[in-house]
Amino acid sequence: MNQNRDPLLQIYHLFIGLISIGALYIIWPYIASVVVLLIFAFLLTTILLPSVDFMERKIKSRGLSVLAVTLALSALIIVFIGSFASGLYTQGVEFTQQIGTDTYQDNLTHLVQKTKDSMPAFVQDLLPSDSDESGSLIGSVLKNFSGVLQNLLSVAGAIGSFIFNFVMVLIFTVILLYEYHNFKRSLVRFISNKYFEIGLRLIFNIERAVSSYLRGQLLAASSVGLMSIVGLFILNMFGANLTLVIFIGIIAGLANLIPLVGPFVGMVPAIMIAVMNNLGNEAAFSHQLFNVIPSPFYLVDIILMFIIVQQIDNNFVTPMLVGESVGLHPMLVMIALLVGGTLLGPMGMLFAVPAAGVLKVVGKEWSFVSKNAHLL
Amino acid sequence: MKNALWSNVFKNWQTEESQTVLTLKQVPVFSGLRPRELKAVENLVHNRTYQPGEMIFKRLAPGEGMYIILSGKVEIYLEPEPEQRNVLATLSNGDFFGELSLLDDEVRSAAAVAAEATELLGFFRPDLFSLLERNPELGNKILINLARVISTRLRKTNDLLTEAQKSLSHESK
Repeated sequence: MNQNRDPLLQIYHLFIGLISIGALYIIWPYIASVVVLLIFAFLLTTILLPSVDFMERKIKSRGLSVLAVTLALSALIIVFIGSFASGLYTQGVEFTQQIGTDTYQDNLTHLVQKTKDSMPAFVQDLLPSDSDESGSLIGSVLKNFSGVLQNLLSVAGAIGSFIFNFVMVLIFTVILLYEYHNFKRSLVRFISNKYFEIGLRLIFNIERAVSSYLRGQLLAASSVGLMSIVGLFILNMFGANLTLVIFIGIIAGLANLIPLVGPFVGMVPAIMIAVMNNLGNEAAFSHQLFNVIPSPFYLVDIILMFIIVQQIDNNFVTPMLVGESVGLHPMLVMIALLVGGTLLGPMGMLFAVPAAGVLKVVGKEWSFVSKNAHLL
Repeated sequence: MKNALWSNVFKNWQTEESQTVLTLKQVPVFSGLRPRELKAVENLVHNRTYQPGEMIFKRLAPGEGMYIILSGKVEIYLEPEPEQRNVLATLSNGDFFGELSLLDDEVRSAAAVAAEATELLGFFRPDLFSLLERNPELGNKILINLARVISTRLRKTNDLLTEAQKSLSHESK
């Protein structure tokens, strides 16, 4: 026990630590992508672990439980992506055909003119008023759309890379799910006797906090997705003419995983599809919400519907499902989001809050350990 | 001669019991478990090695679970300073201690130190909770055994208390 206070040993530990940090810095560019895949696999494992443990309780076989849960998840994802791709293809074909027709271009010009007319005079003065110019603007927009559609090959490359990463994450997840409890047991073996019990306590509490947070978030995202789908169907009953309703709902649900920014991101596909589908439809353009508020292409209706869904989620669903599992102050959530977004972009924003939650649990346990340090 | 490949393939078919399983069998908390269940417990417990004089846990430290002695000796005492130590009990192979921490989140009521080079098996609360989730049948068996151990100890304490009360009343008469 007194060996730890030996200055030579401390220098040796410091030296080894510095060499390890240096080595990690050098090899990081080569292993970064694998580490990201492993983080994804670990998060997926944390979400799926309760289902696998539940299955194991029922069928008394770890291997079969992992197989059943993984197959169910893969089937769900394949069905979702498959039907989403076919839906998107149909929408794309229709949209390309619409772009090809002169009436569509006319409608777009008409829309630009109408939008300009509805603006106050001083704003109109600021905008280019020449019809040729607006025509060229529309022309360039349409040209860009065609360009995007022509670059399908690069999209195919991205899809290939996505499939490869997805399969890798799935393989890592299967291994982690099967060996989870053994891996954990092997890892804690390296904790010294003095910190062993407190280490187990720390791991258990972190595991519980992260797992309940992730499951809560997933359930909250599902509820947002479901409520958005119902809301969009209701809007369709009033003539909003929205397609890909289920996928818009799923995207809104997934976007909801990113706090603060997500809800706005979730609205974008619905707004885009509403504009694309209703272009040229005079009734849709002059639509008024409650016969009072102008809502061209049902845009205000859509935004209002998403705001209502968000309010129901924030005030009833999330507090009930996620509760105080992480319990971060809104200010800390914002700081975590900014740091995550700056470091890793949208992915960083997705992981920012769980990571901050882990840090909070570690901090709480660390203060517990510090208070009881004389007892270890 | 034994074929290394086939012995590896059929390693799970081995009927020989490990030292860990043999020790677990002696512990009342794991009594009445089937061989397969004992094997499951073997995969849960943590093997720890302690040097002579090394502290296993201090009195009033937060407790996470119980220890079973595989080999060596463990001394239990209340006093913090080594020179003041009044050993309450010396435990050896197959003995267990700290089992109350499996049930509650309270601090340790006594300290434990390795009297010689000691090998212990640790069975902790997170492992018990995990077992109750994955294999409630086995988890409940262990909980019932644990309740039996505690009830036996409570009966003994009651007997000792009754005897003490009797001797006190005799003295007062």
